[in-house]
Amino acid sequence: MPIRERVVSELERICGPGAVVREPLQLLTYECDALPHMRATPDLVVLPQSAAEVHQIVRLCAREGIPFVARGHGTGLSGGALPVPGGIVIGLARLNRVLEIDIPSRRVTVEPGVTNLDITKHVAPYGYYYAPDPSSQQVCSIGGNVAENSGGAHCLKYGFTVHHVLALEAVMADGEIVHLDSAIAGAPGPDLVGLIVGSEGTLAVVTRVTVRILRKPERVRTLLAAFDSIGAAGTAVSEIIAAGIVPAAVEMMDALAIEAAEAAVHPNFPAADAVLIVELDGNAAEVEELFPVVEAVCRRAGATSIEIARDDAQRARIWRGRKAAFAAMGRVSPNYYVQDGVVPRTKLPEVLERIRRLEARCGLRIANVFHAGDGNLHPLICYDGKVPGQADRAVEAAGEILTYCVEAGGSITGEHGVGLDKVDFMSRMFTEDDLEVMRRVRDAIDPRRLCNPGKLFPTPRLCGEVPGPYREHPIEKAGLAERF
Amino acid sequence: MTSIDALPQAPFLAGSVVRTGKQADVIDGIKPRVVVEPRTSEELASILASASRERLTVVFRGGGTRLGWGRIPQPIDLLISTRALNRVLAHEHADLTATVEAGATLDELAGTLGQHRQWLPLDRTGEAATVGGAIATNDSGPLRHRFGTPRDLLIGVTLATTDGRLVKAGGSVVKNVAGYDLGKLVSGSFGTLAAIVSATFKLLPMPAAWHTLSAAFDTADDTARAAAAVNDSQLEPVSLEVRTARSGRDAATYRLLVRFGTSPAAASAQVEQARALVGAGEIIEGDAEASLWRRYQAHTSSSAGTIVTLNWLPAMLARVLALLDEIAQTGASVELAARAGIGAGQLRLDGSMDWQAAAVARLRGQSDLLRHVTIRDAPPAVKQAVDAWGPAGAAAAIGAAVKRALDPAGILNAARGPI
Repeated sequence: MPIRERVVSELERICGPGAVVREPLQLLTYECDALPHMRATPDLVVLPQSAAEVHQIVRLCAREGIPFVARGHGTGLSGGALPVPGGIVIGLARLNRVLEIDIPSRRVTVEPGVTNLDITKHVAPYGYYYAPDPSSQQVCSIGGNVAENSGGAHCLKYGFTVHHVLALEAVMADGEIVHLDSAIAGAPGPDLVGLIVGSEGTLAVVTRVTVRILRKPERVRTLLAAFDSIGAAGTAVSEIIAAGIVPAAVEMMDALAIEAAEAAVHPNFPAADAVLIVELDGNAAEVEELFPVVEAVCRRAGATSIEIARDDAQRARIWRGRKAAFAAMGRVSPNYYVQDGVVPRTKLPEVLERIRRLEARCGLRIANVFHAGDGNLHPLICYDGKVPGQADRAVEAAGEILTYCVEAGGSITGEHGVGLDKVDFMSRMFTEDDLEVMRRVRDAIDPRRLCNPGKLFPTPRLCGEVPGPYREHPIEKAGLAERF
Repeated sequence: MTSIDALPQAPFLAGSVVRTGKQADVIDGIKPRVVVEPRTSEELASILASASRERLTVVFRGGGTRLGWGRIPQPIDLLISTRALNRVLAHEHADLTATVEAGATLDELAGTLGQHRQWLPLDRTGEAATVGGAIATNDSGPLRHRFGTPRDLLIGVTLATTDGRLVKAGGSVVKNVAGYDLGKLVSGSFGTLAAIVSATFKLLPMPAAWHTLSAAFDTADDTARAAAAVNDSQLEPVSLEVRTARSGRDAATYRLLVRFGTSPAAASAQVEQARALVGAGEIIEGDAEASLWRRYQAHTSSSAGTIVTLNWLPAMLARVLALLDEIAQTGASVELAARAGIGAGQLRLDGSMDWQAAAVARLRGQSDLLRHVTIRDAPPAVKQAVDAWGPAGAAAAIGAAVKRALDPAGILNAARGPI
C-alpha cells in the first residue's frame, strides 16, 4: 500500500521538504545495503537531522501503523537495512555529531551516523581509541555497529560492540524516547542495552550512543607468516592459544584471497597457500616476552617465511592487505558473495577441508579470509552474474557452508547479522521453542512488529512481498545500461 | 489448584527432592513453604510450568550467597534449588570455552578449568557462589576492571521458561550474533524472567604471576589523583581498587590497590612502573598477594549493615569520596571498595537502621554525581524504609513488558524485583 500523501506532508513538516526522498532515481540509493544481490525499492526515505525528528517520525509511524527501517551508511552485509514493503526508510546519516568527549572518564557520546573510525580519530590525540574495528570502519556508522553488534579483527581480545556500549538513547517502536544504561555502566535489572545491541534494528531506533574508549596499548607487534598449507597455518594458531597467549588479532587468508589483495592494494604478501597475520599488543614487557614465542610457534608449524613489521607503516601495509580483502575480490572475479559463519577454532581444519571439496563440486572458486583466532570464517564465493545459473550456485554454496558451520557446533553468523539474508537459516541453529521465546521478547517491545519487520526471524512471507535475489534488468543484460 | 498444605505432595513435584521450608531457608523473615531440588533441567522446566499454571510464587536459589538481595519477598511457595544441576558439561580447553550447569559453584568450575591452566575471570562472593547466581545477579568485584561482569564472558545460555520450555540463545563459539542475546537479558535479571539452567563462557589462560601494589594515602584527593594517573597510563592492571573506611569522627583511611596478573616479567615490570607513577606503596606477591585479595573479597561480601552498589563517572572519584566522608561524619561507619577505572563500587553503611536508610536516601539524592544506587543487602527494617532498587527510569516499562511476556503469571522472584 503506498504511503498516503497526508503522511508525506507530515514527514515534510517534521524534517523539511528536502529531507523526504521520493524521486525514483534517488530512491535507488536505498534499495540495498552492501549485500547487493537483495534489493527492494523503498516508497519513501526520510533523512532526519536530530533525535527529536526521529522521535516524531517513529511516533507518526506508530500512529499510522507504518513499518520503518533504520539505515546507517548502508555497509551491512546481511540485508538488514533493506526497505520493507509499504514502509519507510529512516536514513540516519545526517545525525553525525560527536556530542561529548570525556577523556578522564574514558567515554564518548555520538549520534548514530558518526563513523566507527571517526570516534578513534577524535580521541587519538589523547592517546585513546575505540576498540571494535570492522573492516568497513572508515565508512560504517556506529548506529549500524550497535544494530549488528559488530566485531572486527581485534575482537578476539577486546570483544564486540556490546562490550563497549555504556548507554543508549533510543526511540522504541511505540515512539517513546528512552535513555538506557547498560549493565557495564552499572544499571541494575535485565541488561536491555545488551539485548538491543545486535537486535538488528528490530527493537528500537538508536539515536545516541555512549561508548567506552581504551588507552592505546604501549606496544604493538605484528607478523605475517606464510605457510604452504592452510592446515599448517591452523596448527600455528592452535599452538599460540595453547601457549596461553591471547593475541590482539589472528587473521588468515588463503591463496586466492592473497592473489586478490595483491592485485588490488599491493600489500606485498608472499605467494603462499596461506598467510597468517598475528598481532600482539599491550604492555611492552609482556609483548616483548610473548612475541618471540609466537614467532617460534610459526616456525615450528612450518612457516616458509616470516615478516615482522618494523614500524607503523609496515604494519599498516599488512593490515591494508587484510582489510581490503573483500573489496579486492572484484579484481579476480566479476561478482562474489561474502559468507560469514563461525566454527569452534579447533574445527577450522575440518570445515576448511569441506569447503575445498565443495569448491571442486560446485565449480566456483572460493577464497577464504578469516578471523582464525575466533573461528569466524569469511568464504568469498566467486561467480559471474552474466553466466546463467552461477549466481544461484553461489547462493547455494554459501548456504552449504553454513550447514558445515552449524554441524561443527558453530554459528550462522559471527558478525554480519542475520538480516534478511539468513532468516531461513535461523531454524537450523535454533529450535522452534528458542525462536518462539525470542519472538515473545520482540513482541513485548514491538507488539505491532513495525520496527524492521521481516528481518532476523524466519517468518512466513506474503506472496509478492519477497525482495528476492537481485536479477539483472533486461536492459542491463543487453548491455544497454550498467548498474553502479 | 493444589492447596498450599498439600503442596509437598503435589504430583508435579513427584520425583524431585522435596521438603518443607526450614529456618535455614528464610529470606528476610519469609520462610518458603516448600523447597524443591530438581535433578534435571527437564524436571525444572516442568515444575516451572506447573507453578505458573497454579500461580505459585517461586524464588531460585543457587549457593544462597546473594539471597538477601532485592526487596522483601512476598510469601514464597516454592524455593527451587539448582544445586543438583551442578555438572561441568564441557571444557573445550583448545577453544577456550566451557559449558556448565547453573548450580555448579564457581569454585567447582575453577577446579576443572585449572587442570588446563585456564580460568573464568570472575570474583566470587563466597565458596558456595554458583554460576547461575553470578549471571542472575551479574555481580562483579575487583576483576571487573579488566574482565567485565559475567554478562561480558557469557556466550550462550539455556533457560527454562514458565511455560515449561527449555530454550537456548547464543551458542558455544566466542563470536556469534545469530538471534537475540537472551543471555544478556537474563544477566542481572535476578531470576525474574526464567530459570538459568546452563551457561557457556569464554575463558582465558590463567596468568602465571600476580603482583599487587598497595599504597596508603592521607587524603581523598591524593588517592583519586593516584588512581587517575594509573588509569591514564598504558599499564594494564587487572584490578584498580580504591578502598576507604571512616567511622564517625575518626580519620578516614585511603588505600589504592593495583593488581597485575600476567607473565612474571611483565607483572613485575608493571608493578614497579605503577609504584613509580603513584610515588608510594608496597609491592606484594606470592601467597601474601593471594591472601590479601581473598581477605578483600571476604570483607566486602560479608553482610553486616547495608551494602549498596553505586556508580559514577570515573573522573568524579574525589567528589564521591568527599561525599562519603560527609556521610560518615554523621556518626556511623562507611566503607567503600571501588573500581576506580570503572566508576563503580560497593559501599557498606553500618549504623542505626534509621541512619542506614537515611544514608541510602541521601546517596540517591545526589543524582548529578551518583547513578544506580542499589541496595544489595540490608536488614529488613532498612528495606522497608527505602526501596532496594531505587528509581528505574525508562528501563522499568520495557522490563515490565518483557516480564509479562516471559512470566505472565508474575510468579518469579516473588516480587523481590528488580522487575
